Parts: sequence; C-alpha cells; structure tokens
Amino acid sequence: MDSRAAMRTGLTAALSGTGHGREAADRLCGACVNLLNVDGAALSMIYDGAISRSLGSSSSISRELDELQFTLGEGPCLDAVSSAAPVLIADLNDPAMQRWPGFARAATQRGVLAVFALPVAVASLPIGALDLYRTRTGDLADSVLEGGLIAAELAAMPLLDLMGLDLSAAVSDEGSDAWQQLGSLTRLEVYQAAGILIAQLGVSASEALVRLRAYAFSHNRTASEVALDIIEHRLRLPDDATDDPISTEGDGHR
Amino acid sequence: MTGREHDIVRTFIKLSDRLVDDFDVVEVTTELAEQCAELLGVAAAGLLLADVGGVLHLLAATSHHVRTVEILQLQAEEGPCLDCFRTGRPVSVADLKAHRDRWPRFSAVALDEGYASVHAIPMRLRNEVLGTLGLFGTSPGALEEEQLAVAQALAHVASLAIVQQGHTLPASHVLTGLQAAVASRRLLEIAKGVVAESLGIGMDEAFIRLRGYARLRDQHLGEVARRVVSEAPARRAALLAELAAVGGPS
Repeated sequence: MDSRAAMRTGLTAALSGTGHGREAADRLCGACVNLLNVDGAALSMIYDGAISRSLGSSSSISRELDELQFTLGEGPCLDAVSSAAPVLIADLNDPAMQRWPGFARAATQRGVLAVFALPVAVASLPIGALDLYRTRTGDLADSVLEGGLIAAELAAMPLLDLMGLDLSAAVSDEGSDAWQQLGSLTRLEVYQAAGILIAQLGVSASEALVRLRAYAFSHNRTASEVALDIIEHRLRLPDDATDDPISTEGDGHR
Repeated sequence: MTGREHDIVRTFIKLSDRLVDDFDVVEVTTELAEQCAELLGVAAAGLLLADVGGVLHLLAATSHHVRTVEILQLQAEEGPCLDCFRTGRPVSVADLKAHRDRWPRFSAVALDEGYASVHAIPMRLRNEVLGTLGLFGTSPGALEEEQLAVAQALAHVASLAIVQQGHTLPASHVLTGLQAAVASRRLLEIAKGVVAESLGIGMDEAFIRLRGYARLRDQHLGEVARRVVSEAPARRAALLAELAAVGGPS
C-alpha cells in the first residue's frame, strides 16, 4: 500500500503544475518514465469513435510509435481501447505475439522491444489509451503495473480537458491537486446528471461530463452542486455550449 | 434449522449460484446489500470500494434515495466506514447519538435522516482492505456476534465477486477488479439519468426498470446500461421504449 501511495503522489504531482491539457498530458507521460521504470510513454485520445490523436508523450519516438498505430490501423493501443482491457506485450519479437506485424517491425526497428497499453476510460467508456514503451523485453513488475493503472486513471482528466477545448469555458483549475480534480468526478450525482444531459442535449457521455465540469468551473461551483441542480431540474444547460445557461429558478444557484 | 438459519442458508446458496456463472458485479453486489439488510434487519446497507487512490466510492446500496446515497458517499471523508477501511477492523456504533462528536458531519446527516446505529465491516482479500460493508439501523443497538459473522461472510463474498470479475489481468487483478467495479457503477448512474429524464421518472424507478429489463432479457445490467448510454439516437429511442414498457420491481 505504501509504494502505491508514493507512486500516486509522484504521478499526481506531475498533473498539479500550471498549464493543462496537452502540457499536463506531456508531464504525466514524463512522470511515467521517471516513476514506472519504462523508457517511453504516450497518451492518445479517441476522436469520433476511433483513436486518432496523440496528445502527450515523453519523447519523439513514443509519439511516433503511437501515431504509427493510427496510420497502420493496428497495434496494442487500438486493441486496449477496443477490448477495454490492458494489452501487455513483454516481447515484441516473440512469434506468439505477432498480432501486429507492421507495428512490431516498426517498433523493434526503433529499439522498442516491449509495450504495455492501458485503456483510459470514464465510467468504463473508453476515451483514450496510455502506452508505455520499453527498450528491453520482460513483464512489468506488479507495482509498476499498478502505477500504470493509476496513471491511466489520472490521464482521464487532461483528456477530458482537451475534449473541452472547443468549449468557451476553461476547465482545468490551475495549480490544484490532480486527485482532487479527479475527485470532482467521483460523486455519483455527477454521472446521473450527465445522463440527464445526454437525454436533454443529445450529446455523448464524455461531452456531457465536459460541459457539466466547464459550467461548474466557470460559475465557481463544484460539479456535485451543479449536478444536484440538474437532477432537481433547477438548472438546464443550453443546447449550444457557448450560449448562456437557461435557469428555471432564479439565477440557477440555490 | 430455525427460520432464520434457513434464510441465511438460502441467501448463500442464491449468491453462490450467481457467482459460478457469468455475472454483473454491480447487480450481484446490489442484491448482496439487499439480502444483507433483510437478513440482519437493518434499514439500509451499502458497499464502498476503494479506488487506486485509496478513496472510497459507493458500489452498491439498498437505496437510490439521494439522502441515503449522500450519507454513504460522505464516508469518503469521514465516518465509521472510512475508519473501518483504514484500520481493516469492524467499527460498531450501537448508538450514533452518543458518538456524534467522533464524526460530526456524518453523524449530523445520518441522525437527521433517522439512522441511529451504524456497523461497518471490512471487505478484505489476503492482507489488503478493498472497502467496507456499511449497515445502517433506524434504532440503537449492537449486532449479535452471529449477525456480525453473517455480515463478515457476506463481505467476503462481495470481495471475491469484485476480484473475480476483474480477471483480465492475472498480475494486478485486485486493482483492475476494483477499478472496473467503480467504473461500472458510474456507467449505471449515467444510464439511470438517461432513463429517468427520457421517461419522466425518478432515479429509483429508473434503476428498477433497468434491472427489470436486464433480468427479463437475461442480460447483464452493465450491458444494458452501456447500450442506453452509447447507442445511436434511433436505437436508444427503441431501447427506451422497451424500458418504458417494463413493469415495476420483479
């Protein structure tokens, strides 16, 4: 438990500085390299149902390998997302592991011999993947894998932020603790309210969460408070994210 | 066998039958919480699970009522369930009023809601504490030793169920199991929101319909939830129409 706590603290610290979205994604990947005993890390997001954008990385090779998977249409990262489960390849040269001949060749040519792809999800709905690369073969130690799973959990926040970049409101609270930020999405009422937004606005689940979070942030309220207002029908968010919210009672604040 | 012993045996047979088949973790643990409350004669029961960050999340409860859910979620910050999780030992509060200073925020909300006693049982696996089973009574009183033993056994069953469904990773299966269970509860909440808003019903009712539909079609509750949340508009509308036709609790 103690090593897990230390790992969490280290990874959380990477997300706690200023700047968010892409910068935070890069820092998280850098922290994976420093703390998880891997040689490269990259974070990608799903766009329009397909994983298609590499958003953060610890090195140019990591980014290249991530993007190569989208180009080739094959690779552990894509499989991790479609199966919603980690894909752990301890030796890319092992014939039994040749599920992705094009990707395996490209990776080994660049000196990458092992890859560990972890899905990034919100409420078990995949939104991206975190790929960890190693220049040597071998399984990840249990404690490292645990750290990877923590990093994948933390990665949901910069990914949601990047999805929200098109929205008018800034989402990330600069300098705040990353686990606390993630904490704003732990309360069940937030998910109930997201469901209501799906029904009202016809948006996807991740967009519903992004809008709820953006609204809460720009009105200086917690996601939980906003969620309860939505559930009790005291507040209705506008169809278009850039419009002013429609309040059904007073100014929408209790 | 007394009537009560008979009930206990029947509960364990029913749960173990569920666990040997392919099962849905939120559905099974919800059922477990319901059976637990009934067997031990408490008003509410809930299972809280720790995530990778060591924060407690509500996995399953006998009630979908906002206030009871709030009391359970408050345990992430303070309360008998949090103390039980941290120490790995049962915490029994026979009279909450007498201990209100120990957990001021939690006690205020719980007493206000009519709860008078709380019992928190650790969910353990080997030397790791996964979470807590919380039992909430409306009258003061301790649990008998035998009742505590039954609660602990049910907590063990819950621990095994959670670890079992996260079998995708042999190495770190406990952690993936915990993550998956917490995530599927969140997905269920999104689905409840969609159903409640689309059909103009409450969250309790939305849950009853989702579960009723899943049982009727012999599908996992999580799968039904996923379809409600992720299907394209036309297919979602068709599914919602079917959910509207599902009757009350089965």
